[in-house]
Amino acid sequence: MRKVGVVGIGHTVFGNLRDYELIDILAYASLDAMRDAGIDGGIDQVIVGNMASGMFNHQIGIETALVSNLNLEPAMAEAVGNGPASGGSAFKVGYMAIASGLVDVVLVVGGEQMRAVTGWEATDIVASLEHPKVEYPYGLTLPAFSGMFARAYMEKYGLTERQLFILAVKNHNNAAKNPFAHIQLPVTLEAISDTPDSIIINPYIAEPMRMYHLCPVSDGAAAAILCAMDIADRFKKKPVRVAGVGSATDTYCPHNRADLLDLKAVRLAAERAYKMAGIGPKDISFAELHDPFAILELCEAEAVGLFEKGKAMKAMERGETQVDGRLPINASGGLKAKGHPVGATGMSQIHELVKQLRGEAEEGRQVKNPKYGLAVNFGGFGSNVAATILAKE
Amino acid sequence: MLELEKLYLPDKNVYAHQCPECGRLHYPSVGRCKKCGYRYYPEQDVAPRWEKKGYKFWKRVPLGGSCRLLTYTRIWALPVGFDQAYLDFGVVEFANGVKAIGRLAVDKPQIGMKLDARIGKTKEYLGQEHYGLFFYAK
Repeated sequence: MRKVGVVGIGHTVFGNLRDYELIDILAYASLDAMRDAGIDGGIDQVIVGNMASGMFNHQIGIETALVSNLNLEPAMAEAVGNGPASGGSAFKVGYMAIASGLVDVVLVVGGEQMRAVTGWEATDIVASLEHPKVEYPYGLTLPAFSGMFARAYMEKYGLTERQLFILAVKNHNNAAKNPFAHIQLPVTLEAISDTPDSIIINPYIAEPMRMYHLCPVSDGAAAAILCAMDIADRFKKKPVRVAGVGSATDTYCPHNRADLLDLKAVRLAAERAYKMAGIGPKDISFAELHDPFAILELCEAEAVGLFEKGKAMKAMERGETQVDGRLPINASGGLKAKGHPVGATGMSQIHELVKQLRGEAEEGRQVKNPKYGLAVNFGGFGSNVAATILAKE
Repeated sequence: MLELEKLYLPDKNVYAHQCPECGRLHYPSVGRCKKCGYRYYPEQDVAPRWEKKGYKFWKRVPLGGSCRLLTYTRIWALPVGFDQAYLDFGVVEFANGVKAIGRLAVDKPQIGMKLDARIGKTKEYLGQEHYGLFFYAK
C-alpha cells in the first residue's frame, strides 16, 4: 500500500449557521483546506462525510452538488454515511482510495447543518439512528443511552456527577481558546455544580447527565486534502502522515452487549489503528475523543488503552489530560464545547490532530512536542467506530 | 371477529425470536443466529426464490413477566411526538437471558431490583399507535 499524508486542512466555525446553505458550509471548509494546501484544483476524488442531509436539509446527492459548487468536475465524488462517525469513516475511505493506488489527491470534507430544523426535530432525526421497532418508538433519544450508560458506570465504579463536570470545565476552557468552537466561554465548577442555583442553569437532560455533561447542537464543516506521500512535495505544507486507520462494529442495539459498559468497537477500532501504525497506547502524545456526553471521554480513554478500566477519572482529576498534562485529551474543547455537527465531527478531529502535530494550535492550546495523535469517532451508541492515528513526519 | 382483529388491529405483543437450530433467543430479530449462524427463513413474498424444503422455522417467544433492572434513566428533552414532561427508561434482563429496553414505571428505581414487564402503549402519533414493554415494580 502507498503511504498517505494530509497536506491541507480547513474548518468553518461551529455554531448556528442556519442562514447558510449546507453546500456553502461544506464549500467554505473545502476551500480553506485547498488554500492551506496551496492548490486550486487537481483533486481526483471528493468524499463527503454527512449523516442526514436528506432529513435536516431535504437535500441528497450533496457530493455532486459540492463538486459542482467548487468547480471540481470531473472529479470522482461519493458520500460516506456512518451516523456521527461519518467524518471519520469518510477519512478512512479517502485514505483507502490513495493507499490502493486508485487516485493521488483526495478532498475529504465532513459537514452537517442540524439547526436547519427545530430542537425537537433534531432530537428526533438523531434518534432515527436507533432500531425502528425496539428503541425509537419508545421515545428514546441518544442522550437517554448516555444516561443509562453513565448510571451503570457510576454504580460499578463509584463515579459522581460532579467528577464528570471536571471534564466539562476542562473542555470549555480549551474551547474558549479555539476560534472554531461553538461555545467559547469558560465555565466554573461552582457555577455548574456546587451552588444551589446550579440545577437551574444546569438541569438534568438524561439523568444522571445534566446539560453541561452534553454537547450543543451545532452546524459546521471541516476538511482535509490527502495525497500520496511520494507527491507530497507538490504542496505548500509539509505532510502529516496517516500512520493508522481502523474501524469496528458492535451490536446495533446497545442492550444486546454482554457487558453494557464494554465499548468493544472503540477498543477494536483503536487496536486496528495501533497495529497498522506499529505503536501502542503508550506512544500516543494526545487524543481527540468523541464526547457528545462527558461519560464517553472517560470510557473511551479507558477502552483505547490510555488508562486502566475504572481509573481514568482519578488521572483526569489530577490534571493529566489538561493541555499541559501528561496526555492531553480534547485540547480542541471536544464535542462537549467545540460542538458536534454530527457529520463534521470526525473531520474536525483530523483538523485538530494536524494542527497540533504541525505546532499551529493557538496559544494555551498547543500540546508540547506531539509525535502521534489519536482520534476516535463514535457512531451510533458505539456501534460503528472509526479510529485514526496521525504522525509527525 | 377474531379474523378481523388479526387483519386490522396491531399485534401488541413483543417477541423474541428463537433459533430453531440451537435455541438461542434474539431480540430484536436477526437474519442469522448470533450463536450458530443458522439463517432466518426469508418471507416467501419478498424472497420467492428461496427453497422452503429443509428449512426449520424460527419461533416467536412473547416477552414479559419477571425481569431484573440493569440500568435506567429519566430524560427531560424528548423527540417529536411526545408531549410528556419526561420519560423513564430501563434496560432489563429476563430469566431466559434476553435483554430489552423499555419504559420504566417505578417510583424509586434501583439497579438489580426485580420488575414485572407488561405491554402498554408507548406512542400515539398521527393516528398510529405503538405498543411496547413497560416495567413495573414487583
